[in-house]
Amino acid sequence: MKRTTLLIIALAALALVALACAPAATPTPAGPVKFAFWHSMGGTNGDAVNEMMKRFNTAQAACIGEAVFQGSYDDSLNKLKAGLQSKDVPAVVQQFDLATQVLVDLKVIAPMQDFIDKDKFDLKDFEQNVLAYYAIGGRLYGMPYNTSNPMLYFNVDMFKAAGLDPKKPPRTYEEVSKAAAQLTKKDASGKVIVYGYSMAIYGWFFEQLLAASGGLYLDNGNGRDARASKAAFNSGEGVRILTWWKEGYDKGYFGNFGRPTADTQKAFDAQQTAMMIESTAGLRSRLNAAKGKFELGTGFLPRPDEAAFTKSGTIIGGAAVYIMKDRPQGEQNCAWEFVKFTVSPEIQAYWHTASGYYPVTKKSYDVKEDKDWVAQYPQFLTAVDQLHAAPNTRATQGALSGTMPAARQRIELAIEEVIQAKKTPQQALDDAAADVTKLVADYNKSVGQ
Amino acid sequence: MATPHSRDAVTAPTPVTRTARSARMRALQNFLAAMLFLLPSLFIFVSFVFVPLLKTIQLSAFFTDPLGRMASFAGLENYQRIFSEKDLANSLKVSFTFALYVVPTTLVTSLFLAVLANVQLKGISVFRIIFASTIAISAATASLIFLFLFHPAIGIFNYILDLIGLPRVQWLTSEATALLSVSMATVWLMTGFNTVIFLASLQGISQELYESAKIDGAGFWASFRHITIPLLSPTIFFLIVVSTLGALQAFTQINIMTRGGPLDSTNVMVELIYRAFYFNGQYGIAAALSVVLFVMMLALTTIQFGVLEKRVHYE
Repeated sequence: MKRTTLLIIALAALALVALACAPAATPTPAGPVKFAFWHSMGGTNGDAVNEMMKRFNTAQAACIGEAVFQGSYDDSLNKLKAGLQSKDVPAVVQQFDLATQVLVDLKVIAPMQDFIDKDKFDLKDFEQNVLAYYAIGGRLYGMPYNTSNPMLYFNVDMFKAAGLDPKKPPRTYEEVSKAAAQLTKKDASGKVIVYGYSMAIYGWFFEQLLAASGGLYLDNGNGRDARASKAAFNSGEGVRILTWWKEGYDKGYFGNFGRPTADTQKAFDAQQTAMMIESTAGLRSRLNAAKGKFELGTGFLPRPDEAAFTKSGTIIGGAAVYIMKDRPQGEQNCAWEFVKFTVSPEIQAYWHTASGYYPVTKKSYDVKEDKDWVAQYPQFLTAVDQLHAAPNTRATQGALSGTMPAARQRIELAIEEVIQAKKTPQQALDDAAADVTKLVADYNKSVGQ
Repeated sequence: MATPHSRDAVTAPTPVTRTARSARMRALQNFLAAMLFLLPSLFIFVSFVFVPLLKTIQLSAFFTDPLGRMASFAGLENYQRIFSEKDLANSLKVSFTFALYVVPTTLVTSLFLAVLANVQLKGISVFRIIFASTIAISAATASLIFLFLFHPAIGIFNYILDLIGLPRVQWLTSEATALLSVSMATVWLMTGFNTVIFLASLQGISQELYESAKIDGAGFWASFRHITIPLLSPTIFFLIVVSTLGALQAFTQINIMTRGGPLDSTNVMVELIYRAFYFNGQYGIAAALSVVLFVMMLALTTIQFGVLEKRVHYE
């Protein structure tokens, strides 16, 4: 009797396990089509995304979208890759610039161009430089959604105190170093209290500084004339960046707060560094943090010399939204409606003011909300001016390869090697280039090229 | 069968074979019943431990596509590559140094705290809770807290150094101190769990032993050395094994605080595997690295059981 009871319990336990493993029954959809949107916007910018989705859901009745925060772009890309194997993917996903090539190679995207052509959607008011970044072979795979570039942030109060003109922030490496020397404050024992200038050891900054000085990151025109086969950043332009960085650091004018950009931001908010390089996407957060403490100014990303300002420019950073091929047609259509909604002038204007990402469509600047905002905070125009000043070249279109996230990390190691005096700038970049070339070869092999 | 007639017709088996057969039957029944009870856990164990392990070994012998699906057979090429490059050697060195920093420090700290918390005093349970509290904190949360504490400009540690007139330390941003800083955070994090385990076994030691030792004239140190340590030795052994394995698999705090930098000085094994897998898209290489880590840990644990366990005193 006792044994029978025990057997029943064991069987029941087994049944539970089996039940837990059984796929949950999927209810048949009725009414509005539901779809998911994966994004990587945290904090203030994440709130703005949720607000955007709320507006979309109230503006129409056919579709109900849900915005799901998936962590950083890297995390989100990994989840997407994992989801592709279990068919667990959203209808629309936000992915960063570096993922462009790998998403195309994976053949999992329903190209945006197809929707644009079918719907005869007009792109003439869009920022052409931004479209150029996301177009491969003349076809748009993703829709630019949040675009940004890095710029100089500076503490206006400190500029005034040091006798510098906040209306004329430094533009070249030399000017930045000179200003940094004047802005650096030391205590009686010679310990630095305020650094003149800081930038996080972040590969994106290197990519941007390289493009802004006209250098290429990968061969074959940054992988846009033909598939990239090796690294090209160990050029004179690349070496110039690290030499400048190292000099400022050795003299004690440049602070090093490590790789996390948040740590350099914190130092800037706490007035421990007078200038820094940061994406325009963080402008709203920085303004909020500086409120009541100091006045915040912005300037262009520094270049090696004045000539570089006309020769080249910054890359379109940020991200695009992609529609996934694996989802049912109904969801794809809803995703397209959502994409159109997010790039409408009003929503892009809201996005601009709420985050700092500049609008992908020029019509947004005519929206009253945006006009009022930039009148009050002209800092929000710096990145836009920087974008418009950039000529459309292979350098400013940015590098295209499936291995970009890995390359970015490899560059960060090279920067550390230079700063910590382990290697000369040329040597560190040559070694990094050799590794990145290997990564590119691995990647090309993995997609059968 | 029920009638006496038919019973006579059947040749009765000898008593010996009957008992042997029924014993075997019973053993089989017991085994089946045991398997039935074990099935749920076996099922989970096989599907989440053994199958992934075998899949990892398989993956390590293949080249992959960008999604990580096996594309073509690589044989031992992935292994040849990881052994010919310097990353694996560096990460092994970092991982073992990290374990060396973390394990003894954690054990000594938590044993000290457990002995303190074992004192019979009014309100001692408050201290017990405080000492054990880091158990309830996730590694991710702890890392974020320590990121604040270690911040080069606005962190509390450098603030304190300023106050007492010592030079500032580049905790996480200098190659010389980063691993040490991450280890500090890890010790803090692991101490709670170890203290609880130590405290539990301390309370299992009979007070009579201490009383009779006292009568024999033993002081605190004598009873600590000759009663506490021997009776705690199974626990100490257990914690050494578990903490070493934990330290070799450390990842969360490293990934959040330093991402393996600066200069790969905190690039522990799991961080290396993570980067190869998620950033470099070298799935086969990552699998090969995982197999190497698995073999190393298996060997280390075997050695620990062989060498250390001989010194353990089981009651």
